[in-house]
Amino acid sequence: MLDLIFLAFIGYILLLGLRRPFLWVLLYVYIDILAPQRIGYAIIQSIPVSFVAFGAAFGGWLLLDRKEGARFSLRQGLMLALLIYCWWTTGNADFPVEAETKWEWVWKALFFAIFLPFTLTTRARLEGLALVMVLSIATIVIGTGMKTVLGGGGYENLKFFVNDNSGIYESSTLATVAIALTPMIAWFTRYGTIIKPHWIVTSFAILLIFACLMVPIGTEARTGLVCIAVLGVLLLRYVKRRMLFITAGAVLGLTALPFLPQSYYERMATIAQPGGDESASTRVAVWGWTLDYASKNPWGGGFDAYRGNTFTYEMPVKEEVGNTVAVEYREVVDEGRAYHSALFELLGEQGYPGLAIWLLLQGLGVWQMERIYRRWRHKQQEGEAWIAPFATSLLLASLIYIVGALFQGIAYQPVMLMIIGLQIGLHTYCKRIDSARDELALSERVSATTRRDAELSGKRKPPHAVTA
Amino acid sequence: MIDYFALALGHGLLAVSLLRLVWRDDLDVDPLLHTLKEEERQNRKAASVAGRNARRRAAREGDGPSDDERLRSSSVSDSAENNA
Repeated sequence: MLDLIFLAFIGYILLLGLRRPFLWVLLYVYIDILAPQRIGYAIIQSIPVSFVAFGAAFGGWLLLDRKEGARFSLRQGLMLALLIYCWWTTGNADFPVEAETKWEWVWKALFFAIFLPFTLTTRARLEGLALVMVLSIATIVIGTGMKTVLGGGGYENLKFFVNDNSGIYESSTLATVAIALTPMIAWFTRYGTIIKPHWIVTSFAILLIFACLMVPIGTEARTGLVCIAVLGVLLLRYVKRRMLFITAGAVLGLTALPFLPQSYYERMATIAQPGGDESASTRVAVWGWTLDYASKNPWGGGFDAYRGNTFTYEMPVKEEVGNTVAVEYREVVDEGRAYHSALFELLGEQGYPGLAIWLLLQGLGVWQMERIYRRWRHKQQEGEAWIAPFATSLLLASLIYIVGALFQGIAYQPVMLMIIGLQIGLHTYCKRIDSARDELALSERVSATTRRDAELSGKRKPPHAVTA
Repeated sequence: MIDYFALALGHGLLAVSLLRLVWRDDLDVDPLLHTLKEEERQNRKAASVAGRNARRRAAREGDGPSDDERLRSSSVSDSAENNA
């Protein structure tokens, strides 16, 4: 039954796309984020819905779209360079079979992110993509938030639609992405044109942001808590009443404390004491190993090169005997531990060139969004007032993602690559407006000069013409 | 139950949003960019009309040939070259 509903929904968008092929791009975004083929369990698993959606999106753009204003930008070039470099390292990988498996989804995510900005040529398209991203994530987050509030949370206990701990359905990744999208959710309450601002929209947005904040609580993802803290600090720059914001945040946090389970406190305590937790302890050890590995393999070892690591470290193990707690340091041997950081993931897999490209890609995004914010923030007209806040929401999304990526191997996270696509689309759109304005100003000058010349030549009539 | 509720709500909102989007002409043609380009086109057109009028006026007053005269003379010279 569920499969049929998913298929009916996909069929519905395919039909709508016959009138506006851009909707097929949005269909692919929806399928890539929510993965209905993984939620369903019968017929939908045998249909390559993702392939069909991508074929429709790319074919529709190639054959039917106006392509007016589509440009190839520097950041698309960087993603293309990263894609080619990943292809090269995959061919020379330490673990060819595993590398091939990761390459299978990474190249698709990068290719789609390179393609996406070509389709984002109008404000409605930029907003449409942002809305589909938000609603697709919302579909996952609403359930997660409700389960947390109703008491079904816990580390590795909270159930998602898909429970294979991969992609967006990995708890820390979902927490990071959900927190990263909260500024964009707020943007829709003031500047949305597809679903216009209304008290119902604002109420829904507040509940959705609350659900997003619940994801790190419900999943007990430590990275999510760090992301919330970073978001709070970053928002201080944009809020008008800073003291009120800080007070409200503190009151909200203190009010929430009694409702949090003991397991949450215990897990969050390991942020400050990484030695007490295996997941946190191994991070430091893996990062050290990766630095050493990169010094010997500066060009990278291909995807999943971490599988070659092995190291021993000492970890405190608590033992309770009656009323006494004995802490004993035991030697732990670990091997094949994942990077737990996008920076080290890139360094180990793609070497220094790959890391440099990725850092440049992210850094340029932050810089471009900041420039757009400064350039457009004083615009008041309806057609332009949305741009600066939209750039801010994308800037914050980038920064929160980067912070989250410091502690997770999410260098090629498809949703965040789509955010990059959205940033490129907005940057190109703003440049097109500036360029159109320049041309308009030039044409006005030419027009004024010609008019003046015409008037002058009209006045320079010979005396007999005047007397006649 | 919660999962079904979340899926229904998310898909319902997506369905309504996409339906609204499909009827919008500005999905394919951006109104702001279109207006700017249209104004620029009008300016260029006005400039070319004003310029042509000015040249015509100047020609009438003996400052130089009019557009029509220039056209005529060029077609005459073209035909003379062809005949040669």
